[in-house]
Amino acid sequence: MIRSTLFAIACLVASSAVADTPKFDVHKSIVRITTTAQEPDYRVPWNPGSISTGIGAGFVIDGNRILTNAHVVSNGRFISVQRENDPRQYSGQVKFVAHDCDLAIVTISDPNFFKTMLPLHLGPLPTIQSGVDVYGYPIGGERLSVTQGIVSRIDFESYSHSGADNHLAVQIDAAINPGNSGGPVLQNGKVVGIAFQGYSGDVAQNVGFMIPTPVIQRFLADIATGSYKRYVDLSIVTENLTNAAARRALGLPDDDTGVLVGSVESDACCAGKLEPGDVLLSIDGHRIISDQTVELDGENVDLAEVVERKLKGDKVKIDLLRNHQPLTVEIELEPNNSYLIQANIFDEYPRFVMFGGLVFQPLSRNLLESYQIEDLRVRYFYNNFINDEIFKDHPQIILLANILPDPVNAYLAEFRYQIVDEINGNKIRTLADVANAFDKTSDFYVIKFLGASRPAVLQRSAVEEAKERIRDNYGVRVDRNLGEETLR
Amino acid sequence: MKFLVLLQVSAFFTLSAVAAENPSPTPAATPAAEARPSAAPKEAVATELKGGSVLRVNSTNQSHDFFRPWSKKAPFNRRGLGAVIDGGEVLVTAELVWDSNFIELEKPDTGERSSAKVAVVDYETNLALLKPNDPDFLKDLRPLDTSVQPKIGDHLSVVQLEATGTPVSTEALLTSAEVGHYVLDDYSYLLFKMSCPLQYRDNSFTLPIVEDHHLISMLLRYDPRSQTIEAISTPVIQHFLKEAEHQPYQGFPSFGISFSTTRDPQFRHYQKLSDSEGGIYVDDVEPDAPAAQADIQTGDVLLSIAGKSIDPDGDYDDSLYGRLSITHLITTLSYSGQKVPVTLLRHGERKDVVVSLFHKPPEDYAIAPYVIGRPPRYLILGGLVFEELSRQYLREWGPSWQREAPQRFVYFDHYQADLFPKPRKIVFLSQILPNNDTIGYPQMNYMAVERVNGQPIYRLEDLARAIEKPINGFHKIEFDLDPKVLYLDAGQVQENAAQLQKTYSLPALRRF
Repeated sequence: MIRSTLFAIACLVASSAVADTPKFDVHKSIVRITTTAQEPDYRVPWNPGSISTGIGAGFVIDGNRILTNAHVVSNGRFISVQRENDPRQYSGQVKFVAHDCDLAIVTISDPNFFKTMLPLHLGPLPTIQSGVDVYGYPIGGERLSVTQGIVSRIDFESYSHSGADNHLAVQIDAAINPGNSGGPVLQNGKVVGIAFQGYSGDVAQNVGFMIPTPVIQRFLADIATGSYKRYVDLSIVTENLTNAAARRALGLPDDDTGVLVGSVESDACCAGKLEPGDVLLSIDGHRIISDQTVELDGENVDLAEVVERKLKGDKVKIDLLRNHQPLTVEIELEPNNSYLIQANIFDEYPRFVMFGGLVFQPLSRNLLESYQIEDLRVRYFYNNFINDEIFKDHPQIILLANILPDPVNAYLAEFRYQIVDEINGNKIRTLADVANAFDKTSDFYVIKFLGASRPAVLQRSAVEEAKERIRDNYGVRVDRNLGEETLR
Repeated sequence: MKFLVLLQVSAFFTLSAVAAENPSPTPAATPAAEARPSAAPKEAVATELKGGSVLRVNSTNQSHDFFRPWSKKAPFNRRGLGAVIDGGEVLVTAELVWDSNFIELEKPDTGERSSAKVAVVDYETNLALLKPNDPDFLKDLRPLDTSVQPKIGDHLSVVQLEATGTPVSTEALLTSAEVGHYVLDDYSYLLFKMSCPLQYRDNSFTLPIVEDHHLISMLLRYDPRSQTIEAISTPVIQHFLKEAEHQPYQGFPSFGISFSTTRDPQFRHYQKLSDSEGGIYVDDVEPDAPAAQADIQTGDVLLSIAGKSIDPDGDYDDSLYGRLSITHLITTLSYSGQKVPVTLLRHGERKDVVVSLFHKPPEDYAIAPYVIGRPPRYLILGGLVFEELSRQYLREWGPSWQREAPQRFVYFDHYQADLFPKPRKIVFLSQILPNNDTIGYPQMNYMAVERVNGQPIYRLEDLARAIEKPINGFHKIEFDLDPKVLYLDAGQVQENAAQLQKTYSLPALRRF
């Protein structure tokens, strides 16, 4: 996945509108990161995956740490770091990685590495139209490259590395190309962002994105405790209260304040604290405007930004109306888990159980994309996992994802992409349940799928007879990975 | 996060109807295929049909617009040939006269015309009987006989008309008969497949296929590349005509099960099925359908129906056409109102039941498989347009509606027997016509209505009743998706109704 989130855009020459940058030696802070990655193939989950090499940038911050993008080091098996004007290559280790906000910390075990390096310091959120310099190692050559641009827009954006997260991002018009990833964006000698994604040239021109300092600072605060615990989320859906009839029906004054709670995810931190139909009036003392914004530091920003800046275990105080009665609730914030089904998975081998040539795998974004699954029910479960609370019965959606053809499963082709409901009467909620069900000795293994179909039946004797044959024919090194060991 | 992947398009035929009223070929009929010199067609002037056993049928059709349920789409013409049969009627495909406004019959030799009306129509088998408004119009014509069944390998004739009105027949070889998809998805009957080098001519939307002076078949689709015809089979035509003798027309019966084959030896072993017997495994029983009423259950293994034993693939031995799916046995060789004996195995025990067959009309489904010949139902409240979900609505997304239409609704439709076992409809918000009542609401659509003013909504009538009783002067509308609730000021909605109707030129704010 190295740099695949960055696509070439048209070359941009910095214009004269760019602000003067004080003379400053970035060479002592920036590094070039070469990652050898092994990206697993979900269609052959027992294989370690194909090897690829990618190049990105990073820079030194306090504490002898190198900050870069998560996608620069994801699935990395070997990371080599180079300084400017130094022929040596140093081996790097990923210390922390945050896939939800595309940031990572790399350290170097060689103590001499940081001796001559100067850490960069984080600056504020830049203002619109101010000039910035972008450093990195984009395609076009080996040496350090600098481009200039101005800040075009500050807004919530989709972070394409995980594919399922939205955070604050800053759009700039400097040319950002593959290889810029992880490189610092500087203004007045301070880091105001990290270049991380752009559009391919045939979609949009002169549009690059950087991760701004509020997101970086949150990441650094999160890992200060020794591990990365991910973003927290209220896990509710709110709606505007901008319709006059809706306001009057709820007995609200005509003051543009308050939003209505729609769904409350039943397994997340707001469950039992907030209810559908609640009208949220303020959050941590900030008045909630009826279009789901709050005023922060003199700017109207998305209501979510208040929670975005907090860490796991932090509390948030919400004033609300429930059945016209004022109420104050305090919520201890937790990361949301259900949405991860739609987020790209990195740094782990695909999980699977193979039995009688039937390959069972939990539904994930990676799985859906690699098999290009078009089954209506599978896609429905994927898209409505949270809304329909499918996670209650199926914390993992276990698919018969593949069939390795063999006489033992000759009549089972029709069951491909079906969702497993029961094996020998045991409800299947996770992949471990599948492994446990097959581990129990039984003459017949009867697999029931969701929806109306006959059960698939495997006779133990036939499975045992096929075991070696399938292993040899298809090169299945191991017949299961339940994810007990991780790569990092 | 919305994620787009392609939906598998299930078993759609790539063959195209001979759309000869429109000279530009349909996509399957590529220009290349047209330009290719075809093998010298075995064409001949069909002397046996002189004197008029076929008529030109011109129909002006106008479908309802399910996106704007208060209006119709632009009218269009379909031109085909009809077969004159006994009883002063003309047989055509139902597709020719779908949503027709005006039908005209024309004698090919004299050019004499009469308007006509649809006497009987069956959209599922794609057949219709037309009756001329002039009772004497068919008097001098020689009706085609419909009592003969062809055999595989027979040479048949596809009838077309020259511009002069001279009937021309092209030889077609009946190559096979098998159960397959007709025009509406989910409706399969016995199909005749023929090989035939057919030329493009006017009035070819429907073409009769004859053997001497017997009407054998009606053309459904022609693929010019492979020069193959798929046609409505004789047993289906005969069933339709027999059924049409009695009013009201009942329709072809259904059984109401879905089944799996039992070829898998491990499965047979587990089910304790002997190797000498066939049988099909009942996956699902449609509630209130004939099988359910006869207490056939999921897990039963059906061994024989109407005295015919069923093999593990779900086929029986047909006396005329060899191995055919039991679908043919149930839907076409049996009639609504008939009782058929069924032998089954339940938990290893043999059991005999009798199934009383009947036709399940589209209105009896939670999501109607088709809505043709009647307008869509709707209700507009304060600019919110509510409709009842039907596959006809989903088809508005075009031929690849299964991919393009809202996926939640496609899922509802596909799994409706499981999701909505009790009789009900799905009332949904199809769009918002922006106006003063809805200002501040985003554009919302494709959300199913769960409750209105606290009342559960199972059909549009429930909605009409519920809005009679606003809560404290407001309508509270609850949906299955976020935003889960909308409010409207009941008094204001009433006050603004006339203006809304005028602004958007709505003929009426509801139609049931």
